Amino acid sequence: MSLESLIRERRTVRKFNNLPVSEALVKSLLQKSEQLCPHDGESQWRYVYVGTDEARERLSGYISEKVLESRIARLTLSKVIESYQRRFLKIPAYLIAIADTDHDPIKNEEIYGTICRILQNFQLLSWEQQLGMAWITEPIIQNELFYKRIGLKEGERFVGMLEIGYFDKSPKARARTTADRYWTDSVYQ
Amino acid sequence: MNLMDMSITSLQEQYMEMRDDLKELVLELLNHAVWAPNHRNREPWRFIYITGGEKPDFLNQKAPAHLVITMRNDSNTLKQNEDLAAVFCLIQNLTLLAWDKQLGVRVSFYEWMFDRNYCRKLGVPDKERIVAVLDLGFYSVIPEAPFKPSAALKWSFL
Ligand SMILES: Cc1cc2nc3c(=O)[nH]c(=O)nc-3n(C[C@H](O)[C@H](O)[C@H](O)COP(=O)(O)O)c2cc1C
Repeated sequence: MSLESLIRERRTVRKFNNLPVSEALVKSLLQKSEQLCPHDGESQWRYVYVGTDEARERLSGYISEKVLESRIARLTLSKVIESYQRRFLKIPAYLIAIADTDHDPIKNEEIYGTICRILQNFQLLSWEQQLGMAWITEPIIQNELFYKRIGLKEGERFVGMLEIGYFDKSPKARARTTADRYWTDSVYQ
Repeated sequence: MNLMDMSITSLQEQYMEMRDDLKELVLELLNHAVWAPNHRNREPWRFIYITGGEKPDFLNQKAPAHLVITMRNDSNTLKQNEDLAAVFCLIQNLTLLAWDKQLGVRVSFYEWMFDRNYCRKLGVPDKERIVAVLDLGFYSVIPEAPFKPSAALKWSFL
């Protein structure tokens, strides 16, 4: 597949089949992803992997914990939450990406930018192996309680949780606006 | 070539050269790069192309052309972070595509990016912010990269 096609045809996958995902494969794709994004010094980001039944169970508990704090939600949403949890238990693998923060706004932007670029490489390299994923940032996982459960430390920030798995059907694409519509030539004199 | 077989090295400015078709090529590649993942298809990115004589002195990285990448501001921090992430995915797409065409892309950050007055001088509307400045130029020599063993991933389990 050409690089152009790979970039255009990669899709976010939200429905996976039951094929297991190999942790070794994920690691080697991530390693390549980091190499394709040259950076100086030690990496200022880290990954938390979820790939066993036990860990999946724990994660799915953490995700619904915030909602279940509310008694009303417990009473009225229990069915919804149950079906949610069943879905989370079926996802073959998760990768949580966490980045350091920095007081210097430039450094801070650079660190966040680098890990985001690495994750994009990872999405592309995985697509090349027919491995799909969804980058998740829903508010349900972006709260202090969930952060605490996944072990986010002071001075760190949550970047995303990738749901990873093989899939039977590639989702449809949503059209993009061409770049010229968002392009201006310099007005600086 | 598969992405798996590609390798990228850091570019030094002295290798970056101008060519007449640079702008056309950047636009062409950007049309592929906009297929970056972005939540709810918000397409938060905007581009300002700067070259040669129009260049302000505070844009002090040497390169024949620059692409200022901006994005719309959002008062919601979560959305702002999602949009920022999407813009970096687009930047990575462009970097990979450009490398394939011997066009170097260096991602630069400046302190003045966070200063409204400087942004205005570059024509950035007040509802947008600068994410990064891309320094662009063709290279005829691919710099030898010193061999670096791949660093171990910082890896743990839930
Ligand atoms: C930073 C970021 C956050 C995202 N968060 C979510 C999310 O929380 N839930 C979701 O279903 N998709 C999420 N996505 C996926 C986007 O919705 C998806 O990229 C977009 O719909 C375009 O589809 P495509 O990736 O198939 O081209 C996210 C993507 C990015 C880059």
